Amino acid sequence: MSLREIIQVTWLSLLVSGSAVLLAMAAGLPAAVLLYLKKFPGRRLITALVNTGMGLPPVVVGLLVAVLFWRTGPLGFLGMMYTPVAMVIAQFIIALPLVVGLSLAAFEQVDPEVLLQARALGASGLQTVRVLFRESSLGQLAAIMAAFGGVISEVGAVMMVGGNLKGYTRVLTTAIVQETRTGNLRSAVYLALILLALSFLINLFLTSLQRKGASRWQGPSWK
Amino acid sequence: MARPELEVRGLVVQVAGRKILEVSCFDLRKGECLALFGPNGSGKSTFLRTLSLLQKPESGEIYYQGQAVGPKDRERLQQKIVYLLQKPVFFQGTVRDNLMLGLRFRRLDRETQRARLEKIAGLFNLHSLLNSSPYELSGGERQRVHLARAFILEPEFLYLDEPFNGLDVRFREELMSDFHRIRKVTGVTTVLVTHIRQEAVYLADRMAVMLGGRIVRVGTPEEISSAPDSPEVSRLMGQEALVEGVVEKADNGLLEIRGHGQTIYAFGRQKAGDRVVLTFRPEEVILAPARPASSVRNWFEAEVREIRPHDRMLLVLMDCGFRLKAFVSRSSVEELGLRPGSKVWAGIKATALTTGPGLQETGFSENEK
Repeated sequence: MSLREIIQVTWLSLLVSGSAVLLAMAAGLPAAVLLYLKKFPGRRLITALVNTGMGLPPVVVGLLVAVLFWRTGPLGFLGMMYTPVAMVIAQFIIALPLVVGLSLAAFEQVDPEVLLQARALGASGLQTVRVLFRESSLGQLAAIMAAFGGVISEVGAVMMVGGNLKGYTRVLTTAIVQETRTGNLRSAVYLALILLALSFLINLFLTSLQRKGASRWQGPSWK
Repeated sequence: MARPELEVRGLVVQVAGRKILEVSCFDLRKGECLALFGPNGSGKSTFLRTLSLLQKPESGEIYYQGQAVGPKDRERLQQKIVYLLQKPVFFQGTVRDNLMLGLRFRRLDRETQRARLEKIAGLFNLHSLLNSSPYELSGGERQRVHLARAFILEPEFLYLDEPFNGLDVRFREELMSDFHRIRKVTGVTTVLVTHIRQEAVYLADRMAVMLGGRIVRVGTPEEISSAPDSPEVSRLMGQEALVEGVVEKADNGLLEIRGHGQTIYAFGRQKAGDRVVLTFRPEEVILAPARPASSVRNWFEAEVREIRPHDRMLLVLMDCGFRLKAFVSRSSVEELGLRPGSKVWAGIKATALTTGPGLQETGFSENEK
């Protein structure tokens, strides 16, 4: 496997998984806020579904997206099967419950009196939500780390909906599978090391943010 | 008389279908400090939350400067109110961040924020604490920061829920005195929730006594102390029920009351034949080895039943046909040689006795124990 190919699959891995997590954050964080702040019928059911979704097998997600985007499927006319877009959609479905569930758990760790005090000091609804995110920032970072770690390392869904097409939809995990199948174990090991290094560097970055947050907080639980 | 700044009419708050607050009429005057005073569970905090517009009532109206506060006006009025919760909860960051957060909520410009911080840090003596985490501070310092973040917003209405709770005596007295001084300087209209009488009497211009979710008495601390109007309020004001009797003679306010085989003198508005409950403060009872010649009208020969420590004083429980309590210093107990079983004369001035309407159930049970 050439260096050019390695850079290409690494870049596509980052692009697909990064986009999926960003989209999951864009949809999942407001959903978590709604689930936390608003009491509405069906809230418990949705929370239970979210918690179940956190353990969703990637192959099942891959199958679901494949059924949707298959040429004869309901969204087949979009022609998105075996494209990076389909891979982003599959990984978004995997990441979404992780973001919602872990963010919700982080919100629930915040003392409700902190929010009430913010309101009592004159915070508007939006300002109260900002306080909620600020107070649960460590948990939010953990949610992002878990979601990114979950999608960048999965192989089942991207293999099924991306098709592992060389130079187009091949990412680090599917490339490792491909190289192992064809007996290029050396390349497979290099790719695995790159995947591990990527996960490590991203987690190191997020952990340093967490540490910064922890030293800024200095609340009783950290003593 | 000037119109009250805030009025409440027909307020009802329910939780899970149970009525927990019912206030038919309540006024708040500009610049005053009003204490919502009552035992735990009497609805004080719920009322304060409702006044701060954070708890929606089932029914009732709040009027600000004579105008009913509608849904559209709520946000505008909320910007004039600062409400401090009983437990001082802090946000992430330093004391400075915590003080500034409310100013940021109000989107004040940086120059104003800096000026307010400087002013309030000086008033509350917080300069050395600004860069610390609130959780590194002592309980007293935390409470000081908690109060300061309310004053920094320069609100029109300041609502405080038990702001001196959980502090040791020294910190409490120090902080209360600072609060009293700063409140006078700022002139902010304040509602203070407390279950401690001394706090209410020291800080409040007026008190609203709450019992069972209702306001049962409003007046200055002096008015309520001198005419509590019910045994419950009397007890809350630190007065003990002495005896229930019948007025035999009323002469220009001086009543001659017969009860428990004794004649007792007190001042009151009752007339001959009325049943009255007499209440007193144990700290106003004088003890003497023999009946002295003095201006004190009521003297009872009593037998000491028990002597108990109470704060820095001793509580002497006596029997003189009815139960009587007195707070005296340790040295006085030693000088008088008081011990259970010894005889002593107990005196109470007629002006130190409060007369309330007599009831069949006089609420004596606590005193009789």
